[in-house]
This record gives sequence, C-alpha cells and structure tokens, in this order.
Amino acid sequence: MNLSCAEGHPSEVMDMSFSNQALCAEYLRRKSEELGRRVYPVPLEIDREVARLKLELHGVKVDELTEEQRHYLRSWESGT
Amino acid sequence: MEYEIKDISLAELGKTRIEWAERRMPVLRRIRERFGKERPLQGLRMGLCLHVTSETANLVLTLKEGGARVALCASNPLSTQDDVAACLVRDFEVPVFAIKGEDEEAYYRHIVRVLSTEPQILMDDGCDLIGTYHMVAMGRKAHLHRVVREWAFPSEEGKAQRMGTSVLGGLEETTTGVIRLRSMERDGVLLFPAIAVNDALTKHMFDNVYGTGQSTIDGILRATNVLLAGRVFVVCGYGWCGKGIAQRAKGMNARVVVTEVDPLKALEAFMDGFCVMDMKTAAPIGDIFVTATGDVRVIRREHFELMKDGAIVANAGHFNVEVDVEALEQMKKKKRRIREHVE
Repeated sequence: MNLSCAEGHPSEVMDMSFSNQALCAEYLRRKSEELGRRVYPVPLEIDREVARLKLELHGVKVDELTEEQRHYLRSWESGT
Repeated sequence: MEYEIKDISLAELGKTRIEWAERRMPVLRRIRERFGKERPLQGLRMGLCLHVTSETANLVLTLKEGGARVALCASNPLSTQDDVAACLVRDFEVPVFAIKGEDEEAYYRHIVRVLSTEPQILMDDGCDLIGTYHMVAMGRKAHLHRVVREWAFPSEEGKAQRMGTSVLGGLEETTTGVIRLRSMERDGVLLFPAIAVNDALTKHMFDNVYGTGQSTIDGILRATNVLLAGRVFVVCGYGWCGKGIAQRAKGMNARVVVTEVDPLKALEAFMDGFCVMDMKTAAPIGDIFVTATGDVRVIRREHFELMKDGAIVANAGHFNVEVDVEALEQMKKKKRRIREHVE
C-alpha cells in the first residue's frame, strides 16, 4: 500500500532506520568472528548513538543525570 | 558493469529525488562523512535486497563511501523507483537489478544476480535474499523459484554450484524478515550471524509507527481519494505499524476499529480509545480495511461475504498475503480496474 501507491516512508524516519543499517554493517564487519550463528539485537550503543545524533541534528538538548540522581537510581536503601 | 533497470534515461529525475531525500537524512549524512574518512567497509562486498527508493540510494552511497562494493535488488516487485535505480547505475556505478512492476520470475532473477556477486554481507528487507541463500546452500530445491533453482543447480547431481561460504553476516530491516530469521535460528539452520536491525528502538518506534502510519494513509488517499472523516476504518493488528495507522486515522476523524489476536495488544488498543472487536463483527460495518499483522489470510472469504458494497481493502504488511486475494478472485462476478492501484 504505502510503497506501491505512495512513496514509502518519509526520509526523516528512514534516516534513523538506515543509519542503524550502516552502523550495523560496520559492526558486523568488525565483530563477525566473535558472533555465532544467531539472531542478534542491534547493540544498544548503536541505537543510542542514532538517537543522540538525531536529537543533536535537530538542535534538541537533553539533560544528563546529576551525580545525586545517578546515586539515587543505583541505591535501594532510600525510599520516601 | 551489469545491471537490469527500466530506463537509464530516467536518471536525471532520480538524481534530484535522491538529493531531496539526502537533505532530510542528516544522521546518515553524518555517518557518510565519517565513513569517507575511516573507510570501515573497505573492499567489503555487500548484497542488498531493499525497496529501491531515494532513501535506499542514500544508504547505498553511504556504504560505498565506507569502501563497500554494493549490488542492489528490490525487496518488493512494486516499490522500485525506476528513476532512482537509473541514477544509481548512471552516476554512481551501482549494479542495480530492479524494475517497478517486475513479475515473480524477474524478482527472483534479480535476487540471483545479487547473489552472483558473492556478497559477504547480506542486507535484507523481508528475508528473501537471506532465505534464498539458505535454501540454495541447504539444497532445498523444491522450495526455490525455478530461476533460482536453474541457476544454483544447473545439473541434476544437485550440488549448489556457486554458493560460496564467504558470508560474514546478515542484516534484516523489517519485522516480517526478523520473524523468518528467528525461525531459521530455532530450526538450527542459520549459517551466519544476523542482526535484527528492525528491533532497534530508533527503527521500529519511529519507522513502523510514524513511517508506516503516515505512508499507509498517504497510499490510501492517493489511490482512492476518499474522505476518512466519519468512515469506519478497520485496522487489523495493533503492533507498531497498526498502532501508527490507527492513531493517524483517528487524527483524521475516522471512526477507528482495531482487530487483534493478542489480548495484551487488544487491551492496549482498547485503553488507547479504539473500538476493539473481532473480524467477523468488524467486516459488515467497515468502510476501509487495512491489514498490518505479518500473518496470512487475516481477511478472507468469510469476511468478504459480510462486507458492504464498496468496501476498500488494503494491505500495509510486508508481503501480499494478509488479504486473501485468491478467495476474492474466486468470489468475483467480474473484475475491473477502476483507478490506478484500485481493482
């Protein structure tokens, strides 16, 4: 439907899909000897890198966790 | 250089189209710049079976910039943009084997042409390239299309002639293909590592929801020019794609119905505010039906029999199997092509 009657996905979304493809091709070449005959997920660092670049190129800034926040998330002692 | 495309003189049109897409693909552009400096794919032979579109052209150019040697065929017989294919051949010397509207024989001949380049990485959309490679390597002659069989097994003795063992790995773009890959993994027949690119969050959370969502509505409107407001719009399947289609149809003031088989997804659709019902109940009330399930015969004879006259049925899933067109052919009194893409 979308590809035969219209022009398929808008470039903006294919930007992310194909960035994953390109980076995964690079990853496969580097790592193929360490990998077995299995289906692997996209490494999280590639996924995050694509999201980071997309935001950066749209001029969107995001926060970073403060040291206190990082500590809070890691610890189980403190509740309310 | 070998290639098989519709018409090389279309290249100029394709060039501007590729450029238009490039402007809206900044992440890929950034990666292309880095690839140009680092050449991480230097000398790598890659076989691509993707929709031959202006976006894919930009991916191909990125891989080439990284040093790869790329051959490309279509992952769907209907989706090829012939002008883009022409430009890739003329201006970038990419062997492209794809013609919009190619028949099944040509489709598989083109897959064969890509496999003949002995690719080391297979990049696939729907798993036909990787699937064909495996069936040849395993000698599953009965499952192969005739043109693949004649190429791979030219003599009766039956050894796969040209299938090297040089494939380092596969990359799969879409949900349907990943399901096939997982079946191969489960059956213990997968011959190399494969990455489910579809499963990246930056892929399916956006591509499937916003990409398929928007382009499916776009396709329906271009093909039919119907007004969606007030119509009963039935979405079969509430996965990432179905969700995107349903949300957009709702935004255009259609009355949206969702059908599902998974209770969790059905509940999600229900809580998202959609009418959820079974296909039997939806069939007689729907004006427009769209399948996005990844499974076969979701809309079949028993449903066609209940439908209103003039109901529109469309498939947004990867393969043309979700709507039982065969049953419709058997039931028909006659068939007319009433507009382009509408029968």
